[in-house]
This record gives sequence, structure tokens and C-alpha cells, in this order.
Amino acid sequence: MTLTMTSDSSPSEQVILATGGYDHTIKLWQAHTGICQRTAQHTESQVNALDITPDKQHIAAAGYQHIRMYDLASNNPSPVVNYDGLSKNVTSVGFQEEGKWMYTGGEDLSARIWDLRSRALQCQRIFQVSAPVNCVCLHPNQSELVVGDQSGVIHLWDLKTDHNEQLIPEADASIQSIAMDPQGKLMAAVNNKGRCYIWSLSGGESQEPTKPKPSHKIEAHPKFALKCAFSPDSSLLVTTSADQSARIWETKDFTLQTELKQEGQRWVWDAAFSADSQYIVTASSDGVARLWNIEKGTVEREYSGHSKAITSLAFRDQIVNP
Amino acid sequence: MAFYDNKHWLISHIRNSFVSSDDTGMCEMVMQGENLSKKLISSTKFDCYPGEDDSEDDDMDAMGQSFDIQSDLDFGGHRARSNTAARLEKMDREKKRAAKTKHIKWESAPAALSKSEMAEVFQEKDLKIESKPELKAGKSLLAQQLEKCPNLPQNPFQMFAKCDGSAHVGVKVKKYGIFLPLLPAPDCNYPMTVIVLAAAKVQDLIGLILYKCTIQHPNQKFKSGVESYALHIAEDDGEIDWDFPCLDPRETVGKFGFKFLALVESKGSLSSHLQEEFKDVVDCGPVHGTSGNKSKAQLQEAELRMKDHMTAMEASLYQSYQVHVLHPLRAKTEIHLGVSRDKVEIDPVTQQKVSAKFWVRQRAVSYDTDCIVACDLLETKSNNRAVFRMVYYRSSSPSPELSSATPHSMNFKHHDFEAAESVARAVVQQINHVLELRTSARRKEYLALKERRSHRRKSFHLGPR
Repeated sequence: MTLTMTSDSSPSEQVILATGGYDHTIKLWQAHTGICQRTAQHTESQVNALDITPDKQHIAAAGYQHIRMYDLASNNPSPVVNYDGLSKNVTSVGFQEEGKWMYTGGEDLSARIWDLRSRALQCQRIFQVSAPVNCVCLHPNQSELVVGDQSGVIHLWDLKTDHNEQLIPEADASIQSIAMDPQGKLMAAVNNKGRCYIWSLSGGESQEPTKPKPSHKIEAHPKFALKCAFSPDSSLLVTTSADQSARIWETKDFTLQTELKQEGQRWVWDAAFSADSQYIVTASSDGVARLWNIEKGTVEREYSGHSKAITSLAFRDQIVNP
Repeated sequence: MAFYDNKHWLISHIRNSFVSSDDTGMCEMVMQGENLSKKLISSTKFDCYPGEDDSEDDDMDAMGQSFDIQSDLDFGGHRARSNTAARLEKMDREKKRAAKTKHIKWESAPAALSKSEMAEVFQEKDLKIESKPELKAGKSLLAQQLEKCPNLPQNPFQMFAKCDGSAHVGVKVKKYGIFLPLLPAPDCNYPMTVIVLAAAKVQDLIGLILYKCTIQHPNQKFKSGVESYALHIAEDDGEIDWDFPCLDPRETVGKFGFKFLALVESKGSLSSHLQEEFKDVVDCGPVHGTSGNKSKAQLQEAELRMKDHMTAMEASLYQSYQVHVLHPLRAKTEIHLGVSRDKVEIDPVTQQKVSAKFWVRQRAVSYDTDCIVACDLLETKSNNRAVFRMVYYRSSSPSPELSSATPHSMNFKHHDFEAAESVARAVVQQINHVLELRTSARRKEYLALKERRSHRRKSFHLGPR
């Protein structure tokens, strides 16, 4: 086996793993070897959130007062696009699956839709709430946005009709992260008390707004929870926390399947599943990202190179035909 | 940043540049006393210096307008370009880089979208068609790649990757050319560029070098501990300076000013001594209290042994001394004498605008170390003061007919300084250490010349050494 720095396939045929954090850099990793392939500069700001564009050509980084877009295909360490004109931190970023628009949420009490198309059809939208936005999640049907804020309110914003609804799972517990499973049947939210709330969803198709029905409440962690995400096959849910662990839950009954924990791991900020739901990547405050085998609960690879805490990651894997 | 549109400021800056870059001092004598702009304004009716009035507010004195006098900004590096040029270039680079980035400011949509537009842009996707279970059942690309290299050995130097400073902005970093004699040719002939955080320790730098090596040269076998390797000072052609001990692995990288280093497997008595100490420090810290005392004694002994070596090494680092420069007319000026690996700088302590006469005033000058040929104590006085002399080479002779005929001896000038005896000794020691580190052609020439002179005329005394 040889380890080479060069890659002969284009980014769209690769596994992409990017991490960013408090050291003002974004690192791109060769996921199966743990080698850092590239480092991009994210000057003057930490990286709050990362996401890869649907065409896998760019990566977006949300930071203080701006969202920056970096080219994945070239070695340019500087951003190619800088979205600004915002106040305070941008806390989340994501894309409509055809790359028509980008959504962001920030501490300036709003969630926004950014028009990404070069044609002059302006679909910029803004949705204002009464507390700083911690997280934004796009419904897999691509037409509803779920916004979680610091006062503990979850807003369901129907983009087609501008209709919105609120959910308050627990008063005065800041919503830290919201996730929906790829089939749009389940929604999970974690808060700063370490609790995870699950709703089963109905509607959300043929012009009908999504109706959430409370289904489970789990004491996921003893401390501050930071992130939740469903696996691509919807069978698993991961929650990460300041208790220095990530926990994997079975979605059929929401029982704990595995706890992913390692000595010195510190806060686990972010997590993402592989396409086959067999592996998970976590990012933590010790400056190391880890690839775990979910079934065995073991660390398969470590990605070390950041000099400070890693607070966000973006991961794109794909299913290959055997 | 400076006011480049201010003509008054510009001419003042140009004048200062002349004064500070002219070693003969003639420029200064001619130009310093007069106020050119005022003169011009009074002698012509034209408004030559529209910035004249504005510049009154700038509150900068004449000397302060020269970038060249802020010589402490770039110590340690060669002073090929002025700070102005470097700054302008940096601004230019940043501008160019920023120009490549497209900036998009948040704007609300000019008009609300119509129903049909809304339906198009925010079209609802039918998830029932999408959810084909067989599509999700395959193997992932990641799993496939992981299978291809199942037992990837953990890189033992992985933890040092975080000391890499190559992508950091606004953090102090150090750039080194590292020669790797342990690699086969031709890789051993070229230095590998390593950028490390200035706050890292030398052992972290060794780890980082090894980490980069294991990635770039996967077939090369390396020992797994950083303590098996040592960093030595090297020339720019890769020749290792064996006269000096390896860099202390516990020292911070930022302390050393070398541009080229060589990574070698540590062997020989000195480096292994160091290693033992190093291990002692690491292993028997607070845990084994009893053996701690013993190792401490060993450590002190070794430290004493190393002290001489270290003073030689530290001679490269910038040091500033407060001394008086002695003028031919028996006058003294207090100056800061800055000594580093690359140059010796003389900076007047105060801007003596009123008091000093121009022939007594010391200009701020800086000599490249390669031009310094000797430095020695001349005399020690009874009041604990001492006088020392620094001899330097000045290339260009002001009059052409002289320069063609005179031997080089005419080009060796000297400065005499007076300082407290301990300070004087320290300066002389540091300059001599620096001179030993670098063998310049000038110095050889000077020594040869002195040799010849002393043969010819025994009583002749040119200067120290």
C-alpha cells in the first residue's frame, strides 16, 4: 500500500471529509488513511458549521458574520465566495439538494435563504424569530425548514406558503440541534439539558404541511447535548454531548446501542454517518476527529492536525455498486 | 497606514531614506538642518506642498517619518528591502488574493415571489419515489477504501501534525529548510520546507519533520521515537555544522534563528547525554520522587557542561545593549547596540534635536555581520567602565581615484564604545561568537592584512586581533 498526496479522481467520486474549528483553518482529509490533504484558511473566525454543496464542488463554512465558500477541486487556500452583510455568528449552513439555494441560521435572530443561481430570479428569504438561532434543518422534501432557537422554540417554516408553527418541547432549554431522517418520518432535537426529543412526522407531502407528533423523550446525556443526526438508512440516531461521548440509539425503540467514548476526547461537537450507516465520524475539542466502527464501537482512524478544538465537520460518502 | 497622498510627507520620507542609507554622513550634514518645504514655499509663489498644513497635525518628528529607522521590525532577516517595500508588497498580495474572492452581501429580494415562482424554487420532493431500499443497501465507498488498507499502522508521529504552521494566519510561525541526510539520493540533497508554530518545542519540530517524511517517503523506515533523532545547524547547501551540539529538544523553536537545519539520527556522546537527561526529565518528574533528586544533580552538571555551547548558540539571538559611542572629538552619545546573527545595529537613544551638534550626533546605522571583522576590549578603566572597539569593512570609497589605488586597509573603519565593564565583555563575547559562527571573506582578509602588517612592522598597531 502506498500513501500518496495526489488524487487521480475528481472530488465528485471521492469520499470527502472536512473539519474546522477554533484554529481558524479547515482541513480536508483522506478518510481511509487519516492523512490531511489540504488546509484552507478561515481567517479571523472560528468555523461554526460546514456543509458540502450537492455537486461536491464547494464547501461552505459558517463563521462570525459571514459564510465562506471554498473550492474543493483546486488547491486554493482562500475562499472563492464570501457571503457577508450579516451581524453576529452564523451557526448553521446547508443546501437545497439541487443547489438552487442555501439556507443559514444565525445569532442575529434569523434564518435565511440565499439564492445561488446566477439567473436574476431572486428567492432570498428571511425568517425572523425572537431568540438567536442555534440550528436549522431542511426537511428531506426540500420545502420546509426547521429552525431551533436559544429560547427553546422549534419553528416549522413552510417555504412554499410561508406558514409557520412552533413547538416548545421544554421551556427555557436551548435547542442545540435538530435532525430529520432521510425518509421524513422522524424528527429529533437535543437541548442544553442533554435531553433528546423525538417526533414522528405525518404529512409533509402533496402540499400538506408536516405534522409532528411527540413520540419519545430520552435522557440522552447527563450534560449539554450538542448535535444529533440520523443515519442514511434511518435505523440509527447519534447524539453528541459535552459529557465527552457520542451515543448511538436504535430508532425502532430508541434504546442505546453504543456509546462512543475515548480517554481525553473532551466535548464531542459534531458527528456524521457513512453512506452505509456502518461508520461514524466525530469531531471533538481535543483537536482530533475520529472514525468509529459503530458495531464494534472502536476507533478505526484518527484525523489529527488541528491545533485547537474541532467544532464542525462535513462528510460525504456514497454507495457503490458491488 | 501612512498618508501616501501627502506630498510633504513623501518628500520628508525620501529625505530620511537618503540620510539613513548614507554611511558617509554627508547627506545628513547637508540636509538635516534645513526645512526644505518651508524654504520652497517662501521662495516661490506656487503651492508646491499642498499637504503642508495637514502635516502639522500629523505630530510626527522628522526622524519618525522614516521607516528605515524602525530597524527592529525585521531583525533576524536580511535587510534586502526596506520595510516600506515589504509592506506595500504584502498589501498588494492581500489585495490580489481578496480580488479573487467574490463578495456577496445579503440583500432582501427586490420583490416577493409569485406563486408559480415559489412553487418552482421551493418545489416539494416526493419522498415515496425516492425511498428505494435497494439503493441504500450497497456498500459505501468509505467501507470499500477501508477494506483496501485494513491494518493501517498508526503513524507514531501523528500527534505532531498539529504543530504544522503552514495554514495559520496571524499566528507566529517559523519556516525552516530541513535537510534529511538519512534519505537516499536525490531526496537527501534538497531541503524539505517545514513551517512550524513558533511556540512549539524543538522535539515537536522533530516529530513534525518525521510526520511529513513518513507521508512523503512512505518506503523509508524511521525509528518511532523523536528522541532517536536530533536537529543540527546546517549550511544552505546541506552541510551539517558538527561543531555545534544539536538543538536542545526542550527549547522552543521560536528562540532559534537558523534558516537551515538537518535531521540526523542522534548518536555520539553529547547528544545521547542530552537524551538521557531528556528522558530523566520526562520519566522521573513528580512521579518518582526519590530518583528525581539524583537526576536533578545530573541535570545541573550537564547543564553546566552545556552552558558554553549554549552561549555560543544564543549569540545568534538578538540582544540589545546600552552603551556610549565615543566620537573622535571626545564626545559621547548614548546608543542602543543591537547584536544579532545577521547584523549589528547602532540606534541613538534619543533624538537630540537641540542639544547635539551635527558632528557629534550618532546616526542610526546597521552593519551586516559579514562586514564586521573584529571586536575587542581596548582598555578597562578604574571606574568599572571599559572601552571596546568594533572594526568593520566599508566597501565604497567616496572619491574614485582613491578607491582604485588604496589597499583594502583603507576600507576598515572602527567604532569605539564605552560601557560598564560587564556589558562591554558581554558585547565582545557575543560579537566574537557570532563571528565564529560565520566565516566571512572580509574577516579573513582583515586577519591576513593584520598578519602581513605585523610582520612588516612589529610596532604597528592596527586594531584588535
